[in-house]
Amino acid sequence: MKSFLDRVAGLGGASWLCGFLSLGAVALAFPGPERSGAFMSHPALLLLTLALAALMLYHGARALLRRRFDSALLHLGCACVLAGWLTGQLAARAATPEHPATGAMVMVDGDVTDKLWAGEKLNVYAGRLPFAVKLEHFFVERYERNAQDRDAGRDAPVREYRSRVTITEPGRAPYVANVRVNHPACVRGYHIYQMSWGESADVYGRPVTYTVLQFIRDPGLPLVYAGFAVLFAGILLFAVRIFRARGGAA
Amino acid sequence: MILKMTLQGGLIYLTLTLFVAAAAALRVGRRAVGRGFWFTGFAVAVLSVVWRGIHTGHPPMQNLFEFFLCMAAALWPLSQWSRRRHGLDTAMQDALLGALILFPAGFVFGEEVRRLPPALQSPLFVPHVASYVAGYVMLARAALIALPMLRAPADEARVRQADAASRQTAVAGFLLLTLGLLLGSLWGKICWGHYWQWDPKEMWSLATWLMYGGYFHYRLKNGLGNPKALAVLLWVGLLFIVLTLTWINVSRLFAGMHNYA
Repeated sequence: MKSFLDRVAGLGGASWLCGFLSLGAVALAFPGPERSGAFMSHPALLLLTLALAALMLYHGARALLRRRFDSALLHLGCACVLAGWLTGQLAARAATPEHPATGAMVMVDGDVTDKLWAGEKLNVYAGRLPFAVKLEHFFVERYERNAQDRDAGRDAPVREYRSRVTITEPGRAPYVANVRVNHPACVRGYHIYQMSWGESADVYGRPVTYTVLQFIRDPGLPLVYAGFAVLFAGILLFAVRIFRARGGAA
Repeated sequence: MILKMTLQGGLIYLTLTLFVAAAAALRVGRRAVGRGFWFTGFAVAVLSVVWRGIHTGHPPMQNLFEFFLCMAAALWPLSQWSRRRHGLDTAMQDALLGALILFPAGFVFGEEVRRLPPALQSPLFVPHVASYVAGYVMLARAALIALPMLRAPADEARVRQADAASRQTAVAGFLLLTLGLLLGSLWGKICWGHYWQWDPKEMWSLATWLMYGGYFHYRLKNGLGNPKALAVLLWVGLLFIVLTLTWINVSRLFAGMHNYA
């Protein structure tokens, strides 16, 4: 039994597992982000991920008992990241219209809503937020034109997209938040992202600019970030150990 | 093939010439001359990166062209480090590696200046890309340093030296690779909304990371029992890096979130 465990869970097996997972990652690079993401959220793959997380936990715990702290942190960090990802996946599966996990809203200036939409054309009702969002104004700022832009006969590239919104949470005075690319807002566990924008016409045929805001709730995120920190600490210790080793030791 | 008739192009071609001249001089045993060329080449490479930064007005790490300029400038200090720490004279192979890296920057990639789109305006931009630049250079050098381990039957002292030097170089590269991956993931969450998007470049980077994970596990398990296998694993890792930088960046097959380059 012990030799079997050593063979399956020992370092020889670990090299193979690393190689195998590496090839798996390469295989998932081909179908593209959407199809690979959908494939990975299949229950069988979630179970496999759970097994992988358990294996990492087992190795982390074993290394901890043997006082190999670099290996312990590395494996526990991996387990933590995987567990965080699984938590996020399970939360997305358990989401209800009363408590959605993700969704987006298309807004023009002055719109007020708490409804989220999903699907490629954002026409599938995804649920209701525990707060209301009003779009005060959507800004598109461009760089100053230069010679290259004029030659190409097009607009200068965009420097910033910004949606200024007023958030109304129950039991709190309304407040203003700015949502920009790389600067999401966070309200009641939802991160709010400046996802997209576009130009269209209203019912009278007048041109309007609309913004698309994305809302994501991921309760696994703290676990993932904690895993990142632990994993990186483990790698640091590992590097220090290898730098201290002389010759073929360690 | 594009010839760049600009100051930037001139600096790149000068660096290239100096690197090739350094390698040639070292090859024929003119060490002092070779070292002089090698250092001058480094100085010009740094100048080239600095000029690019001034000229574009942003950190020169936005696209592959700028990425490769930085990689070429990182080699000389690393070469010095190997010499001091491991007593290895890698100047010739590093100069050749530098020339190889600068070739696409000089003749393949365009040097048009594009202003930063909103997605790239982040304090994580420089650390994320810089980690990968330094990490990739380190790992490429680890594979080169491991070359003597491929030859059998090798003399044992030499294999030991190559193993210690390549493993220490690889672990430094692995550390940077991990940092780049984690910072990228964090940035992805802040910018795109998800820390992992199953994007092709993410998947290839993860595959590379896992491949080096396999190398370190194998080295721990078998020690120096099979030096050839260790060298082969380092070269497979390098192959993944080269593929990530070339095929995955260029091919339409791998369209994804990383299409800035």
